[in-house]
Amino acid sequence: MKSTLSILWMLSRPAPGSKAVMVLPAVAFALVTALLLIVLAGALSFFTNTAADDPTGMAGIYQMLAAFAVSLMVLPMMTLGGSAARLSARRRDERLSTLRLLGGTPALVSVLTIIESTLVAVVGIAAGIVLYAAALPAIALIHFQGQALGLATLWLPGGVLFIAVAALILLAAISAALGLRLVILSPLGVRTRQKAPTVHWLRLALGAGAAVVLYLVMTVATASGSAAIMIVVLCAAFAGGLALLNLMGPFVVKWIATRRLARATTPVRLLAARSILESPKAAWRQVSSLSMTSFIAVVAGTGLAIIASAGDAHNAEDAILYGDMRTGVLITVIVSFLLVASSAGVNQAAAVLDRRELYVSLDRLGMPRPIMESARKRAVMWPVQIVTIGSGVLAAVLLFPLTGLAIIFAPVSVLVIAGILAGGIGLVWLGLAASAPILTAVLREA
Amino acid sequence: MTSTFLSARSLSKRYGAGIALNNVDLDIHPGESVAIMGASGSGKTTLLHTLAGITSPDSGSVNYEGTDVTGLNETQRSKLRREAFGFVFQSGLLIPELTAIENVALALMLNGVPRRDAEAQSLGWLAHLGLAGMENRRIGELSGGQAQRVAIARAQVTGARIVFADEPTGALDSTTSAEVMTALLNATAGRGNTLVLVTHDPTVASRCSRTLFMHDGVLSLAPTSRPAATQAIPGASTGTTFLPQLSQDGEARA
Repeated sequence: MKSTLSILWMLSRPAPGSKAVMVLPAVAFALVTALLLIVLAGALSFFTNTAADDPTGMAGIYQMLAAFAVSLMVLPMMTLGGSAARLSARRRDERLSTLRLLGGTPALVSVLTIIESTLVAVVGIAAGIVLYAAALPAIALIHFQGQALGLATLWLPGGVLFIAVAALILLAAISAALGLRLVILSPLGVRTRQKAPTVHWLRLALGAGAAVVLYLVMTVATASGSAAIMIVVLCAAFAGGLALLNLMGPFVVKWIATRRLARATTPVRLLAARSILESPKAAWRQVSSLSMTSFIAVVAGTGLAIIASAGDAHNAEDAILYGDMRTGVLITVIVSFLLVASSAGVNQAAAVLDRRELYVSLDRLGMPRPIMESARKRAVMWPVQIVTIGSGVLAAVLLFPLTGLAIIFAPVSVLVIAGILAGGIGLVWLGLAASAPILTAVLREA
Repeated sequence: MTSTFLSARSLSKRYGAGIALNNVDLDIHPGESVAIMGASGSGKTTLLHTLAGITSPDSGSVNYEGTDVTGLNETQRSKLRREAFGFVFQSGLLIPELTAIENVALALMLNGVPRRDAEAQSLGWLAHLGLAGMENRRIGELSGGQAQRVAIARAQVTGARIVFADEPTGALDSTTSAEVMTALLNATAGRGNTLVLVTHDPTVASRCSRTLFMHDGVLSLAPTSRPAATQAIPGASTGTTFLPQLSQDGEARA
């Protein structure tokens, strides 16, 4: 252990040009931390507030919804953690492969990488706590249960903060270990493990079968008209739809990319389509949490729009609850997009470094930089669009009679959801644009 | 002697304290194949990159068919490389997710040729280089020699009149190396085009019509007798070096 630490110390000196690569994972973790703490603080406020003043008996519903919203954040946060860890490994490629060449075991090199990316994460987590504190005054203005959340309820107790930070550090370490499984640390360099793209058509067949069953069940249930059954239907649509999306996602991404490849007339489109087809599963994985987000946005948005337009809120408490659920859905969607935008940026930075030599050679061949930039942006934006729009449409189809009603009776609510999804797609684009300086730096250093 | 179409005058380039190019003059004529040999760090790759407009010299000029390459900005040089020059690198550096034919066609598509035409022309080049039937293989499914032939097709499909090759056989065994050199020479000098290549390998250099030597940034017609390679290897007692021990001509315009 002592020798591991001393090697780590020796290798920890920053290499020239590695600044951005070190800063990006730290920024990613700062964002994860700030968002987690904010979401956690918001969720906990429903648990601390309600014991004394819960005349309406709504506390249970709020607590359940808050817990659900927090659980939705886990997957995108882990994705971002994993991306940040992979980028840390890439940053160290030459040093780590030299270590392997000198006889360092894969275990030693892995441990070094995990310790190091965890340390980078710790710096990011510290910054995230500051960011959380700085954002609180604005978050405190958000209204739930008819009143502003207020600063007092949003300060996390020391114990919770400690557990959250410890969990994040653990997440960083686990993500680094998982992220390393995707990377080969050989004596000849660090590169992403190449797997033959295998996406079986059986996925589509299974998915289509499940969709039909789900649709029939839901049509029968919706026809009964009871509110309780409606909630069960929404939950079933949610759980079933998500399972369906993950089953079919990679296949759909592959199918659409294949069609776009056949029609590609420009270098950008050719490169982007081929880049997705290289691993449709990886392309799906990077954006898969958006399928959940988009799905929730449409399912919850539709439900809430219909309830609101039907004047189903029998009393003030119900009206407030529905309004709050809408706020909660919007926050969940925005946070998810922020997380995916960050992972897309971090993943792209890692991908550029992974293929440094290739980008340099393309530059030497005279490939214009805007073409390289557009191709790698499009390789992410296509799946983002497919996933966001596809999941939204799937949710709308599964809820068909309800969706139709929402469009007719609450067009503004539907437009708001569509606008939020479009804004989220724009956010991912910005995340990708943030990684552009890495390519410029790679080409300049060559 | 035919007319000069690529010429360098008084090229100098330093990297920190090291001199990569020291007042280099060079004339290259249409249809010839020129090998530039030298030890690691002698400046041969810097010379190749400077001639091809990849690197700018600290001083001096490069002229290609009346165009002052050193006077062009980054975008103009990029355009020149894309339209007028071809490149073959040591390990091919092809795009791994594209098929062989797409890698070749991309060079034409970047110049605005429609994909269908680009792929038709690429198909002809791949067949010419003995890769018929392998067009739709991805680069990972080709051997090192086959991948280099794809790179040669990519370098020539645009009709580039000059190809710059940096250690094109460096990663290949001797038999494959000979085959790739034959393909490269046939595709370039064999069709009246020009080849400028950098190599460590005297066998590869001997296939070219002219060989030049770099040592400490100085270009000469004959190899230097200083056994630089031997000095660089601690404990090496016998003075065998890959450079033939010939009489010195000293510095000369190559």
